[in-house]
Amino acid sequence: MFLKIKDLKKSFGTGENRIEVLQGINLEIEKGKICVLLGPSGSGKSTLLNIIGGIDYSDSGMVMIGSEPLKDMNEKTLSLYRRNHLGYVFQSYNLIPNLTVKENIEVGAYLSGHPLDMDELLEVLGLTKHKDKLPAQLSGGQQQRTAIGRAIVKNPDILLCDEPTGALDYKTSKEILSLIESVNQKYGNTVIIVTHNDAIRLMADQVVKLRDGQIRKCYMNEAKVSAKELDW
Amino acid sequence: MRKEKIRNPLIKRIPKELKSELGKYAVIFLFLTITIGFISGFLVADNSMTDAYEKSFEKYNIEDGNFELTGPLSLEMKGKLAEENIMIYRNIYLDKQVLNENTTLRIFENRKEVNLICLMKGRLPETEGKIAVDRLFAEKNKIHIGEEIEIDERKFLVTGLAAFSDYSALFSDNGEMMFDAKCFGVAVVTGKQLERMNQTGLHWNYAWKYESEKQFSLSERYEYSETLMKILAMDVQNPLLKFTPEYSSQAIRFSGNDMGKDKSMIIVLLYMIIVILTFLFAVTISNTIEKEASVIGTLRASGYTRHELAAHYIALPVLVSAAACGIGNILGYSLFKKVVADMYYNSYSLPSYETRWNEEAFLLTTVIPCIILLAVNLIILYNKLSLTPLKLIRNDLSKHKTKKAVRLPEFKFPARFRLRIILQNKSGYLLMLAGIVFANVLLLFGLMLEPLLDHYGRELEEKLIAEYQYILKQPAETDSASAEAFAVTTLQTDFTGKNNEKITVYGIKDDSVYIVKENMPLHHDKSGVYVSEGILEKFGYSAGDTLKLKELYTDKTYEMTIAGSYDYPAGMAVFMGREEFCSLFGKENGYFNGYFSNEELTDLDGQFVLSVITLNDVNKVVRQLNDSMGSLFPLIKWFAFGMAMLLLYLLSKLVLEKNASSISMVKILGYGNREIGKLYIRSTTVAVAFSILVSLPVSYGTLKFLYQWIMGSISGWMPYHIRWTVFAEMVLFGTAAYAIVTWIQFRKIKKIPMERALKNVEL
Repeated sequence: MFLKIKDLKKSFGTGENRIEVLQGINLEIEKGKICVLLGPSGSGKSTLLNIIGGIDYSDSGMVMIGSEPLKDMNEKTLSLYRRNHLGYVFQSYNLIPNLTVKENIEVGAYLSGHPLDMDELLEVLGLTKHKDKLPAQLSGGQQQRTAIGRAIVKNPDILLCDEPTGALDYKTSKEILSLIESVNQKYGNTVIIVTHNDAIRLMADQVVKLRDGQIRKCYMNEAKVSAKELDW
Repeated sequence: MRKEKIRNPLIKRIPKELKSELGKYAVIFLFLTITIGFISGFLVADNSMTDAYEKSFEKYNIEDGNFELTGPLSLEMKGKLAEENIMIYRNIYLDKQVLNENTTLRIFENRKEVNLICLMKGRLPETEGKIAVDRLFAEKNKIHIGEEIEIDERKFLVTGLAAFSDYSALFSDNGEMMFDAKCFGVAVVTGKQLERMNQTGLHWNYAWKYESEKQFSLSERYEYSETLMKILAMDVQNPLLKFTPEYSSQAIRFSGNDMGKDKSMIIVLLYMIIVILTFLFAVTISNTIEKEASVIGTLRASGYTRHELAAHYIALPVLVSAAACGIGNILGYSLFKKVVADMYYNSYSLPSYETRWNEEAFLLTTVIPCIILLAVNLIILYNKLSLTPLKLIRNDLSKHKTKKAVRLPEFKFPARFRLRIILQNKSGYLLMLAGIVFANVLLLFGLMLEPLLDHYGRELEEKLIAEYQYILKQPAETDSASAEAFAVTTLQTDFTGKNNEKITVYGIKDDSVYIVKENMPLHHDKSGVYVSEGILEKFGYSAGDTLKLKELYTDKTYEMTIAGSYDYPAGMAVFMGREEFCSLFGKENGYFNGYFSNEELTDLDGQFVLSVITLNDVNKVVRQLNDSMGSLFPLIKWFAFGMAMLLLYLLSKLVLEKNASSISMVKILGYGNREIGKLYIRSTTVAVAFSILVSLPVSYGTLKFLYQWIMGSISGWMPYHIRWTVFAEMVLFGTAAYAIVTWIQFRKIKKIPMERALKNVEL
């Protein structure tokens, strides 16, 4: 198994204000699969994603990518881990405003010794025409495509997407989900998508439903549909 | 997949960042360049001129001393002196009135062996009717080459302007406290010309040099000169009128001792400005990080290390500083060096100099400030970047737990709104307080100097011991009822590793009418000496302490217990009973060598008078300081004003930027620009007013501390005094600067769009 999570616990606050965000999560994700973490607000899905991404810490339990346990990593090793294995996509794109589309993607490429071919990637992302534009000149969907390009250009083992369509309209959301799907098919990255949109589970290989910090349901999707066919 | 390594794309942001913040960086660059340029120029000029001055002793073969006799030196005496390995050179001169009755020109014959002349312009006189004049004297009296000056009703053509190595400070007499280059100058004519001139005002002056390969120590030179004086005094037919060893010659030594005196003040100024610029950079960087927190968080989440991001965000300040350092140094070695050298040339008659590379200047103006800038900014950067990527992504930049709302009294809504704005922006306002304190320290420094000198001048006048202080070569009688005899000598402090300070020790008669108890603020009826307050303040002494002094040219030391202080701002002085004085210095009872008097002692034989100190002489110190430093005061003042405005602008901009979304929201709710201005700008106004008030005592205290340090590194003492009007000026300057900033901010409020509050993504 590529990603193993064992008895992962995380809480915020102290005393009466203490909230158990993750209450012993056990999960395994196979390499190259799309996994959707589904759940309402406060279910712990983003926290779980952030711990997998090495930008948040668990109180106990273990996350293993390949044979590397995250728990034992210091700040420097964690940075290297993120650099070498992960790509991140957020709801609020977080692009660098004074760099062009191409330059924003190069920000990701710089971290890799073997980045993907830029022109080919721009083509896949549908951004060739817009490569010299600044983020402010783009639509929300184009900005999110750029953010995906920045994450994927270093060809990470895992692509982590935190509500990637949260700020987008229906049509653009489907385009973005299709893009993620095609990236997964083309480059074989493991993709973990956090969403509260129930429809997205249909495009996943594996669906994990969370509520109140616990996995309520975890199953492999037998009847996976393509992102284009999603409807909500 | 591509194999080649991509150049860091973040580098491409740097010129874009510079362009978008051009105004801010241009102003910082300008301040830094001018600061480094001027101070580097000052230190370079100072060092180069000091070096030229020091080398002039050998280059121009400066005398080991000079003496004046009533007539020509006999061959027999010359022989006696040669036996002591002392070479004598004729250096006779004529003192002539020129231009007007107050102006004296001392005319020598061309020098060929000692005290050689540095020709600055033109040529030395080669034939009769021609004269070369001291450059400074010529400038002060607007005499140019090719013009004629009249001496004893004969016209002399000025052929050259020169610096006389034995008159770098134009003292006409070694007993003078200060010189006046407009009223006294030196010149050379040919030997023949000097002989043919009217011999009224002839002085039989001779220079001497020790004939030795060995470099004599100060005490050896002192012993040698004592021997020489004894030999010269033996010739009763041709009495000795003046005797001035080189080490005590004001004309030779004064400029050398004075150069570099302003150095500590200039360095304090430099570091005040560097602290402010460091603060500005730190605020700028901190603000940038806050604005870009979510991008930085994303980059960190993508695998960028803290070092990579720190290197990126420090790059622009480093580039701006490096450019400022480079250009500042170029300006320092060219334009500003010339400005400072001209300041020296305006005070002293110094020889020409060669610009020397000055490591110390580079270290002080460039290396250390850059290290400070870099270190402080890196600390701030790393501190900000130490937040987890998640916190950065969420724009949660506080290291503390979530704050709770502070309960406010039931004021009217606008007052509570403003209070909320102040509380919400308290970190921004704290920065503003710090910024205003820094700016006001600099402003106070610029504003205080002129009134401080004014005050010092008045103090000198009010607390003058007597209208006249006569210092005698040997006891001489007077019939004046106003005269009160005293004994006096000069010692120096005996601190290892510190600048030695000359201390005048007075022996005063018991019931003196000039040294009175009313001027003894610290008075104890105990035995011991009273010292001028400068000694207490400068060296941190208090009553009961032991003051240790040593003789100027020997190692003999004296210890005295301080009984109290005497209010005498004119000098560093010790007052004791005349009997104690005689017993301490081994003089016979009743010995004296000076008079205090409130009227001129006309019956005193001039040949016994070493010097006369009047109010005019004491005030010359203030005039000289005003002359040399006066032009700097307004420069510092306006520089500080500009700096204060820049700080206020950047800090209030920062507060406004932080509140841009809220401002946008209240616009949507229907508030007009004027109402928004009243809410947001008035809150900032309250914070600024409070900061200005707090900054007054803080800057007063800070400068007091810095002033002690400055005065500690130069000779003499001027009491720290700040006139109340200076504080009023500071408030006025602060208000004026803020008024301009407010106008700019109001325009900014008008420009904040309403869409800003509606956007959930900030680019």
